[in-house]
Amino acid sequence: MKVLIANIEDVMREAAARWTLIAYFFLSTIFIIIFASAINLDIVDGALAGAKLFGREVDMDNNQISIEKLVLGFETGFSVFLYFICTFLAIFATAHLVPRMQEKGTIDLYLSRPVSRVKLLLSRYVAGLILAGSNVVYLMGAIWLIVVWKTHVFNPRFLLGGTIIFLLIAVLLAFAFLVGVFTSSTAVSIMTTYGVFFFGLMLAAHDKIAAAVSKQWQAWTIETLYWIFPKTGELGQAVVAFVGGDTLPERVLQVLSPAPFLSTAAFGAGCLILASWLFTRKEF
Amino acid sequence: MTTLIEVSGLRKQYRSSFGKAKITALDGIDFTVGDGELFGLLGPNGAGKTTTVKILLGLTHATAGHASVCGLPVRDPESRRRVGYLPEGHKIPNYLTARQALSIFGRMSGMDSRAITQRIPVLLEQVRLGQWADVRVKKFSKGMTQRLGLACALIHSPKVLLLDEPTDGVDPVGRREIRDLLRDEAKTNGTTVLLNSHLLSEIELTCDRVAVLRHGKVAAFGSVEELTRTTATYKMVATPIDDSLVGAFRETGAGVERVNGHVVLSVSDLQHLNALVDQLRARGGVLSELTPVRSTLEDVFVDLVRADMGESVGAHE
Repeated sequence: MKVLIANIEDVMREAAARWTLIAYFFLSTIFIIIFASAINLDIVDGALAGAKLFGREVDMDNNQISIEKLVLGFETGFSVFLYFICTFLAIFATAHLVPRMQEKGTIDLYLSRPVSRVKLLLSRYVAGLILAGSNVVYLMGAIWLIVVWKTHVFNPRFLLGGTIIFLLIAVLLAFAFLVGVFTSSTAVSIMTTYGVFFFGLMLAAHDKIAAAVSKQWQAWTIETLYWIFPKTGELGQAVVAFVGGDTLPERVLQVLSPAPFLSTAAFGAGCLILASWLFTRKEF
Repeated sequence: MTTLIEVSGLRKQYRSSFGKAKITALDGIDFTVGDGELFGLLGPNGAGKTTTVKILLGLTHATAGHASVCGLPVRDPESRRRVGYLPEGHKIPNYLTARQALSIFGRMSGMDSRAITQRIPVLLEQVRLGQWADVRVKKFSKGMTQRLGLACALIHSPKVLLLDEPTDGVDPVGRREIRDLLRDEAKTNGTTVLLNSHLLSEIELTCDRVAVLRHGKVAAFGSVEELTRTTATYKMVATPIDDSLVGAFRETGAGVERVNGHVVLSVSDLQHLNALVDQLRARGGVLSELTPVRSTLEDVFVDLVRADMGESVGAHE
């Protein structure tokens, strides 16, 4: 526990001193302010008489729209945006944690303490997750509160969508740690992690890609890669379904099949195990 | 005396980038360091000093042999529970203040908050950084950073201190203070100190025993006194020492060198020395001083390195 607290203190102090923490929350705050000022609703008798988004009138075909429907629509659209923003900011703010620790002259100070290397790495991982998680909570929580304040509509599923985003951040951070242990390079960690994110999005169309390739082994390769890499496409769809699904649990359950979640979590766990093993064997 | 550091048959081979060639950094070294001892590790660049220290800390792994600290094998993280380490060219995260750095490394060493809070001011005063407790490390000079590194190594009151070039970048006054601090730690708290330094005078002034590494092997080992003692060279102060006496000495095969009113004699053994004293007395001379000439640790070190260069030349030929 002491090691974990020491690492959390170290990570937070570094984030604050290097402006990462400030930039991280500043950007998030800008999104929140833009969102808060963008929505302008005219509600009459619990129904929406008019709505403006980014100063433009929302076309409602001369019909009144249920405020609940509009909020679900807003939140669904915004959850897709947050899915990308939260993930990208989190990786950018935490990918340096291992490469910086492994710098010559610094790693000696950490490893000369009575702490196993696995414990040290995992403590740093948890510290990174706390940093990234606090931003997800801040960003999603603030937007949810603004929506509640402006519309008086409570949709707690918007917050639950944040848990899926957090799961993806945890998995991608594990991958960034693996690359960090192996290469000791922050730039490579960030680039490859974003690469995995987009590769996962591409592999969401694995059925179509496998059908399009000419050889059987290529199709198998695509399928294998699909099951190995995190399902960033499916998780994005899951966030949308989670936030905007109007007929819970049927529709949500359909989209939220456990396989993409389990295989994505397995990828993260595998990365962490491999990173720990490499870190234990590494010579400094 | 309890043995706190034990190294036996320690070997370390590094692989080259493509894994084909092997470079031997340590070739079966043995030594022990006892409780409260100040031990120096010497050797030219690439002799294996830093590798030895890194193995003792589990930073790198031995290819063969055994190393233990405080009775525990070095692979066990618990062996570092009572070990403080000051690496060469250390980089304490520069976004931390001295107090924060000590707090983080204290906690990582298993200390609780109260003990850390009490220990920090005492330790910072000890290394003359009391006024700088809440200043970020990036504002520190090299000497101050080095002293803070020493404080980080001492935060959990270790039983064993491993120091790699601890006086690097420190001014002469600071050096003396660090030396005194180390001696004090050893005397008062019984701390065992293993000092790895290129500054031979530092080791000579600080350490009780020394191991000189060369080509990954222990080339010389013993107390500083043993290593610097030479049995064959003596300083003789006597009257009169005239040319005829010097000539008579030389006839016995002794090496004689006049230096500022006295002579430095190189003899084959103690009988030879006694024979020269007899000659002096037989000529009516009066002996006022006869002392063995000690070489410095630097002489011993340079002799070993020169022998090494001689071997290299021989090998090339």
